[in-house]
Amino acid sequence: MRIQSRTMLIPTLISHSSRLCICLTVMLLSSWCATASAAEENAEPANTPTAEQLRFFETKIRPVLAESCVDCHSADLAESDLRLDTLVGMLDGGKAGPAIVPGKPASSLLITAIGYQDGTLQMPPDGKLSKQAIADLTKWVEMGAPHPESGEAAKMPRKSNIDLEAGRAHWAFQPVVKPEVPAVSQPEWVKNPIDAFILHALDAQQMTPLPAPDKRTLIRRATFDLTGLPPTPDEINAFLADESPEAFERVVNRLLDSPHYGERWGRHWLDVARYADSNGLDENVAHGNAWRYRDYVIESINSDKPYDQFLREQLAGDLLANEGDYRKRNEQLVATGFLSLGPKVLAEVDSAKMEMDIIDEQLDTLGRSLMGLTLGCARCHDHKFDPVAQADYYAMAGIFKSTQTMESFKIVAKWNENAIPSPEQEARLAEQQAKLDAKKKEVEALVAAATTSLKERLKEGEALPEKPETQFTAEEQQQLKTLREAQQQLEANMPVLPTAMSVKDGKIEDIPIHIRGSHLTLGETVERGFPQVIDIPVENKVPADESGRLELSNWITHPEHPLTARVMVNRIWRWHFGEGIVTTPDNFGLQGAKPSHPELLDWLASTFIEKGYSLKEMHRLMMLSQTYQLSSERDPVRAETDPDNKYYWRFNARRLEAESIRDAVLAVSETLDREMGGNLLNVKNREFVFNHESKENVDYNFTRRSIYLPVIRNHLHPVFSLFDYADASVLNGDRQTSTVATQALFLMNSPFLEEQTEAYANWLINQEEDMFARIDLLYEKSYGRLPTDEERARLESFLQQFPTVWRQDHPEADDAAVTVASWQALCHAVLAANEFTYLR
Amino acid sequence: MNNRDYHELFDLVSHSVSRRQMLKRTANGFGYLALASMLNAESLQAAADKPAEVSRTHFPPKAKRVIFLFMKGGPSQVDTFDYKPKLQADTGKELPFDKPRVQFAPTGNLLASPWKFKQYGECGKPVSELFPHVAECVDDICFLNSCHGTNPAHGGAALKLHTGSDNFVRPSMGAWVNYGLGTENENLPGFITICPTLAHGGVKNWSSAFLPADCSGTPLGNASQSSEEARVQFIENLKLSRGSQRVQLDLIRQMNQDLLNRTGPESALEARTASFELAFRMQTEMPDAIDLTQESAATHHLYGLDETETADFGRQCLMARRFCERGVRFVQITHSNTRVQWDQHGELRKEHAINAKEVDKPIAGLLKDLKQRGLLEDTLVLWGGEFGRTPTVQGAGDDGRDHNPEGFTMWMAGGGVKPGISYGNTDEYGFYAVENKVHVHDLHATLLHLLGIDHLRLTYRYAGRDFRLTDVAGNVVHDIIA
Repeated sequence: MRIQSRTMLIPTLISHSSRLCICLTVMLLSSWCATASAAEENAEPANTPTAEQLRFFETKIRPVLAESCVDCHSADLAESDLRLDTLVGMLDGGKAGPAIVPGKPASSLLITAIGYQDGTLQMPPDGKLSKQAIADLTKWVEMGAPHPESGEAAKMPRKSNIDLEAGRAHWAFQPVVKPEVPAVSQPEWVKNPIDAFILHALDAQQMTPLPAPDKRTLIRRATFDLTGLPPTPDEINAFLADESPEAFERVVNRLLDSPHYGERWGRHWLDVARYADSNGLDENVAHGNAWRYRDYVIESINSDKPYDQFLREQLAGDLLANEGDYRKRNEQLVATGFLSLGPKVLAEVDSAKMEMDIIDEQLDTLGRSLMGLTLGCARCHDHKFDPVAQADYYAMAGIFKSTQTMESFKIVAKWNENAIPSPEQEARLAEQQAKLDAKKKEVEALVAAATTSLKERLKEGEALPEKPETQFTAEEQQQLKTLREAQQQLEANMPVLPTAMSVKDGKIEDIPIHIRGSHLTLGETVERGFPQVIDIPVENKVPADESGRLELSNWITHPEHPLTARVMVNRIWRWHFGEGIVTTPDNFGLQGAKPSHPELLDWLASTFIEKGYSLKEMHRLMMLSQTYQLSSERDPVRAETDPDNKYYWRFNARRLEAESIRDAVLAVSETLDREMGGNLLNVKNREFVFNHESKENVDYNFTRRSIYLPVIRNHLHPVFSLFDYADASVLNGDRQTSTVATQALFLMNSPFLEEQTEAYANWLINQEEDMFARIDLLYEKSYGRLPTDEERARLESFLQQFPTVWRQDHPEADDAAVTVASWQALCHAVLAANEFTYLR
Repeated sequence: MNNRDYHELFDLVSHSVSRRQMLKRTANGFGYLALASMLNAESLQAAADKPAEVSRTHFPPKAKRVIFLFMKGGPSQVDTFDYKPKLQADTGKELPFDKPRVQFAPTGNLLASPWKFKQYGECGKPVSELFPHVAECVDDICFLNSCHGTNPAHGGAALKLHTGSDNFVRPSMGAWVNYGLGTENENLPGFITICPTLAHGGVKNWSSAFLPADCSGTPLGNASQSSEEARVQFIENLKLSRGSQRVQLDLIRQMNQDLLNRTGPESALEARTASFELAFRMQTEMPDAIDLTQESAATHHLYGLDETETADFGRQCLMARRFCERGVRFVQITHSNTRVQWDQHGELRKEHAINAKEVDKPIAGLLKDLKQRGLLEDTLVLWGGEFGRTPTVQGAGDDGRDHNPEGFTMWMAGGGVKPGISYGNTDEYGFYAVENKVHVHDLHATLLHLLGIDHLRLTYRYAGRDFRLTDVAGNVVHDIIA
């Protein structure tokens, strides 16, 4: 028994609390007791038990405790720091929290444990107590746990240990204050205030930045950065020809106006929104309408929708005013897909657990994506590092409990979808419905009339037959058949209104703290609200009859919110420069990185708010800075001082992201289909993308931009999974760049590269007669530059050498075939080489 | 600290080596423990040159590699390796204790196993007639009769077994092992999964999640394909012969070198250049590894390649042995052809018999073969499904059992576990694990321990905290370690 109970509690604590921090295990044995339960347990023991209550305790309860519990849970041993031999011990509890909450058996761990309701917390470990003993203990807790020590045991309030004042001292929770722009050693180098902050820090290290790169490098950098596509030779040459000081600004503005900008930066946002076209996890069914959210994001980014509005729509679009404009209403509904897109355990048998897991996923995503706050850590206990109490978590969780994310929890569970019709579609539906209703009435009328006439035909005393219709006249039966067919026709052709994965307010309720994160052990109920560490005036309290998402969205986008603007400008910086000012863009908490340039971060955040939360303004600021326009050359001397380029003495060269690799291959091969938007997923909504047979059902055979390819969780398109778009189930504002051999295999052997480079070769052959002209075009399209003489000579020699080897395998091939094969092999090599996949 | 950091490692790294350089080097195939352990002693460059020789662990490993035989769908413990005489006696009676609070579906009364059990080997382990060949190996096997998990649905349970979590996205156990130990053969991946199922967690069951991408399992085919067709994606160029491709690769190499000359030494570009050469070598090594024609007729017979029913799984087993010989750290093979293979809610008698027939001889062949080659000593073979099945009947036909995560059997062989023992017990009917319970987390902790890894110390920092395969749980089952 002892061995078992020792091993017992730990897995118990785990099974419902996967987010518990590992470092905890070290502390576990000594200090968990103090912090594990955040709930303010205000319940008091019955102060003056009656004699009868005490007799009940002495005859029914104490013997059971003595017999089955105190061997392990008393002063001698106190397994898991729990003592059941005193009232204080029971109220105070052990590592898992209080053992009893007087008056509340459902919230009492002791009762949960003896009921064997929890998969792992089952006490006593060697066998369940008798039904009578369980009933007695439950009754005793219900009575308020009368005990001889009642009255002596002081009330033990379990206050959260979070010290809000101390917590607010963390830099990220401090208000954003716009700093002075510092003075620097070389004012002429400074193009805008960003440069002043960067140069100021470089000055302190006695370092100088590298010079600017050549214009070809710069336009390739900017074009991929803003559109995810390579610049065309025409665009390059226009930039080269423009010798005015505004030449680069013109390029940036042109790119910001391109619809491809939204496809590129929308994709960044989709990373943060963990966008996917299938559920993943256990039951991988299609998100047949997720694409509407994806298109909403692209359109919002292209139209430079203010970021605060963008967030409000995604959190509470269904609750925002729409001035009766159906487009706006639909757009705002689609936006709330953000809350619904997460992976869900759709076959979780315990629906209460499923619901709380879904809410947890929403909170985790919301916290990390918008605020850099790991809210999910407070599901089972107070956050171990950040000043977020478990009560804060359940205050937020209540908002999402009051939100209808799911239509049904019956497995395979279904997420909620709202209809997003146009007035025409609604009118057509109403019209068809009216026709159907009329037809039904006709049927009824005919049946009634025919029945009446049948009754008239009946003999005296004869009852109406069981199936009167069989006795209708032939003519009546024929009429009825025709009418019914018409009715069926109408039913079959009933228009189906378009729907979107989205949420709406559900049953409004505050929810209790879930002790250890388990829905089986409930603590005190918490009012819906927001984490208290963010010290901004909450203008409106969460109303009693609404979920509170509207207030949440206003709270998050409040200009004084210390995290929202900081987190977003840091994301924008990360996507432009390859590394954030805070290198953990999804975590601004105490375990996150500190900002390398805190003043710059705050200057950017205040400017972002001043400029009306315009993303495009931020792009202009960042890209038109000198800091963006630095060479990416390696410099051994500077690298010695600052190998990680923490101080931005150069531009970070980096590999293209998965989508850009694919899109760039299509673009240079002239096969890119530039059509925007719409659904490419060929699997119907809610159907399995993978059934039990592991057969691939998704069609990827498109040359549209990668953002439009279906994102299938658990089985991403190979380009995505190979090139570090590894998992669409969790948000990721900081994709890795890995280098693995399977990437090379893809570049060397995939049918995709084969097909596209064949197209590329044919296009080049048609475009230019002359070999060297072709080579120049190939280089300029692929690398944004012309080849050197040495490179020209090398490619020429390849074009001589390759055919002789290739002919050995293809003795029948004619000259034209050899030419295509050789140019294809060449194009393939050029696209597989590092210069194509690296941005400098 | 950044989520890309090898957290503990960072403290050990000398200041002259940048974090980025470190990552690029570690991405080329040798593990974190290997690297961390040699940092003080040898230069990084030496490590990069000789990855296979620096494999050191938290403590001396008993197993160097793992073969996981995954029985998708949940084989029934009471019909295979957990003999319950009382169940046989009380068939048709009501279960005399409560069924779990959360069940996948309702079940009825007790259902005796339709198969006879017989004792085998010196250890006298009772095994049902479903596994006559594996029964011959019982003296090499350590049965874990008291396994239990938490999730009664396939997806959740499979994720729990493979990643330790049924509701969060976490790295798979193979990825953790690969992260910790790396591969012993730099021409092959450190973690290979043959014909995995794409349902019920799919790639999550072998993915690296937030660990570095190269820790992820490399799939050979998937469950919808015959193991004969199982290949690593893009391993072959369908158009170019090796000679033509070599000419092309030489050009790529020259162009990459050219770029390096212009940029100056840049570890990311160097690593990528090297990755092309590695890929080219893998193109040779991989087809060789899975070329079963190199094996003798006797070996083919041993694994059942010469019989229709056993050929498919036999090939997987034989490939697994060949990968092990070549230094692959973690090989998973999956028994799941075109359905949820072992999921007999009905037609238990027919389907369980077919399933067992398909795997019994190949598994026994693998065990015998590993043993005769001296590989069993340091190869840990793990067998089991995502859960077991209820001893109570499901459906009207007295011929089905439901999912049961409350108590089921897995087994280990070789790799430093005690041979010929059975550890733990379920209750008298085989429903709940009751004695010496082994949770999935404990299984993970034990598996890592056998590989020389302390599961408490193999951590990775992500989203602000250190993660482990066992999260905050897991106890090494010391009693089964030889």
